[in-house]
Amino acid sequence: MKDLSSNRLLKIFLYLALFAILAPMVIIIFWAFANQWPWPNLLPTSYSLRGVKEIFAPYGKVFPILTSSITLSLTVALLSAIIAIMTARAIVFYDFWGKGILDFISMAPNLVPSTVFAMGIHVVFIKMSLANTPLGVIIVHLIYTLPYTINIMRNLTESIGKDMEQQAYVLGASPWKSFLYISFPLLLPGIIASITMAYILSFSQYFVTLLIGGGKVMTFSMIMVPFIAKGDRTLGSAYALVFVISTLLVFTIINTIMKRFQKRKEKYNWN
Amino acid sequence: MNKKTPYILIMPIVLLGVLFIYGLVNGIIQSFGYIPAFDLRDFTLDYYVKVIKSPTFLDSLKLTLQISLISSILSAVLGTILTAALVYTGHTEGKALQIIKLAILIPHTIVALFSISILSQNGLLARLFYKLGLIDAQTDFPLLLYTKNNIGIILGYLWKEVPFVAYFSLSLMASINKTLGEAAENLGASRLKSFFYITLPLSMPAIGKAFLIILTFSFGAYDLPFLLGATVPKALPVQAHIEYIHPDLRHRPYAMAMNGLILLITWIMAGIYYLVTNSKKIKGDNHERS
Amino acid sequence: MELEIRNISVSLSNKEILKSINLTVENGEFISLLGASGCGKSTLLKTIAGIIKQREGSILLGGKVLDRLPPHKRRTVIVFQDFRLFPHMTLAENISFPLKMMGVNKSECRKRAIELLKKVKLEGYEDRFVDEISGGQKQRVALARALAADPVVLLLDEPFSSLDVNLRKDMRELVLDLQKEYKITTILVTHDQEEALAMSDRIAFMYNGEILQYDKPENIFNNPVNTIVADYFSEGTYISGEIRDRRFISDFFNISANKDNGRYKCLIRPAALKVSKANDSDFEVVAKVYQGDNYLLKINKKDSNLKLESILNEPLDIEEGDKVTIELDKDKLIFIPE
Repeated sequence: MKDLSSNRLLKIFLYLALFAILAPMVIIIFWAFANQWPWPNLLPTSYSLRGVKEIFAPYGKVFPILTSSITLSLTVALLSAIIAIMTARAIVFYDFWGKGILDFISMAPNLVPSTVFAMGIHVVFIKMSLANTPLGVIIVHLIYTLPYTINIMRNLTESIGKDMEQQAYVLGASPWKSFLYISFPLLLPGIIASITMAYILSFSQYFVTLLIGGGKVMTFSMIMVPFIAKGDRTLGSAYALVFVISTLLVFTIINTIMKRFQKRKEKYNWN
Repeated sequence: MNKKTPYILIMPIVLLGVLFIYGLVNGIIQSFGYIPAFDLRDFTLDYYVKVIKSPTFLDSLKLTLQISLISSILSAVLGTILTAALVYTGHTEGKALQIIKLAILIPHTIVALFSISILSQNGLLARLFYKLGLIDAQTDFPLLLYTKNNIGIILGYLWKEVPFVAYFSLSLMASINKTLGEAAENLGASRLKSFFYITLPLSMPAIGKAFLIILTFSFGAYDLPFLLGATVPKALPVQAHIEYIHPDLRHRPYAMAMNGLILLITWIMAGIYYLVTNSKKIKGDNHERS
Repeated sequence: MELEIRNISVSLSNKEILKSINLTVENGEFISLLGASGCGKSTLLKTIAGIIKQREGSILLGGKVLDRLPPHKRRTVIVFQDFRLFPHMTLAENISFPLKMMGVNKSECRKRAIELLKKVKLEGYEDRFVDEISGGQKQRVALARALAADPVVLLLDEPFSSLDVNLRKDMRELVLDLQKEYKITTILVTHDQEEALAMSDRIAFMYNGEILQYDKPENIFNNPVNTIVADYFSEGTYISGEIRDRRFISDFFNISANKDNGRYKCLIRPAALKVSKANDSDFEVVAKVYQGDNYLLKINKKDSNLKLESILNEPLDIEEGDKVTIELDKDKLIFIPE
């Protein structure tokens, strides 16, 4: 009896939690299309496309900034995934000088708030003429995505192991071909996870981009946040909606492209 | 196979690692008042002393600690319950998990917008209270945003971090429950007991790690307190940034000293975490030996 | 092609795994590396394939030194115990993989893959995926894939040990048939002495990183060089004694022996001992164990700690507690120099 009731409580909690997650998103959708929503109405009194129109107006700069922002974050995501694959391979398969230090360093950004790091590196970047440039922003974003992507790739590289590649060697495949034809397809689920993770981390960054980009490197967050700071709910919500939809769209595209490399969508069983 | 291979593989991470350490060390050196570019060449602890003695800093510190501790503890507890709810009601994959992932995808800046549209005095919650007859006017609704109580910020963090804790510890708890939890139930433990004696303690590594991540993150985070915080006191990272962009460049070391203190406290948090988890391990070892 | 292993030593993480191994395998010969787990037999296999680098020594194939050749250019193909089929490819793609690496075009690849699947009796399975077939079928695919790589030396690393007992026999036959057909020099790593005896032209017995004996199955079974080799094939009782003028003399018995003078241990395996029922004897049956095809008798001698074993093929009326006389078959006694 007790068990049954505890289970029911858990179910209620779960549904409440899911409701709490979804409700604000629904409210944002209403706000994005609200024309008038005066106190104390629970629903808008009239709707309009003002917010969306203003974002995508032909004279506006939002759309070019959205595309360049997506490009920047995709660059960060791809680089992060590639570096993570390389680092994970080195740490899992090889013994080399400084492995312990490297292991620590690759996770260290988790222990240094990005605000602290950004203010510290800013002067260095100014000297190196990296401040106010997309490259500078990409580098800082990259540093903060790597602990996550390396962690993902490391676990997967460990679980796949070297066995399959060894089999490929003795069947006549060179190390590079073994990686390309055998390990790469097996690593794909992790690569997709890494790219999405790094993309969302980069696309969400506000402070770091503000400081290192110096207002010269405009990302979508940079143009969205001022509206939120002003408390402009209609435009803020419209931007937020574009943020979420564009991100989901990018994820779908990444997934489709990556899945082309593999024939079957089912999970693999090694053994 | 080739001795050079690992060094080629680690080249990019080493380059970025060096840059990372360089930035970090550079910030710390600046906090001791050494910035030749601004004609500051004395190595001194003065800035730290002045920062620590200033009441603004102490208020900021108190506020930041309060926000991050309350939001992280609540997130860990609620997140654990959410994980258990997912595991015990059989929702470890599928739609429920997709919704949880969606929360991880939303940035803190948009979460601030959520807070504004729901918790402000003319937000949806206030309207609901009005319709229910609980309040008579907008101004009767308690101030939750831009004030010292920081409830808006804390609720914002909860919205982000509860799903994060659940997502982070889900796979561990699910696998423990599937093997050991079922074994315990088979041995006669009630579901509740098997959860508290077996599944929960063994899931602690993941929950603890998630807690550390959200604790240190919220302590050093800028976005939510910047968008929803009161004018005074400000959260530490926000205060540090204000010092950083001060027109008088000689204020820079104050910003860096604040950053140094944020870093120090973050590391103390991590240190305590490792001490606690390691001492548990040692106890466990003794237990096994005896 | 003839494979020659010269003085191969291998250390892994500062532990010496192989100690100066010498071994020659003739062209088209089928040999086994036999030994308990941890004796270094799999390491030797991987060293031949180039996956593990030797510290010292050389490997020669058809007279040419292989040492500097990377694994993918050696054409020494391993079939691993866990088969290692690529999970993201169909069976035909798995088998085509080595052909693709050689630059064979797609349609030819598929044709050859289908042919090879036919050879291993898996006709029509070409478009299946790895997780859709059974263990025995995986083994066949792994074998077909190895053959597709056109191996000069085929290396089999405990390939049958994960299969059901019933399947093993079929697979052994299939492997031997294909090996004969393709005339591939083959090395089988196994810990199963019956498998080694049944399949190989020669057996190299490995122990602790060394080859203790390399000989034909009959020789290694009947003339083991020491007790370690002898014990691995069949257990028995050792009697210490001396051979003088073609006679073995011990505390328990004297018997003619075709060996040089010296101190020997005489190994009495159960098959060398015949018993018959007697009323008055020092030997007593202490246990009778049913083994399916026959019975194993455990026999103790009165007033000594001599324990013997014998095989009883007919369920004769000998029971536990009976007194028996014993008779030694001198051709089945094994003399090992001390």
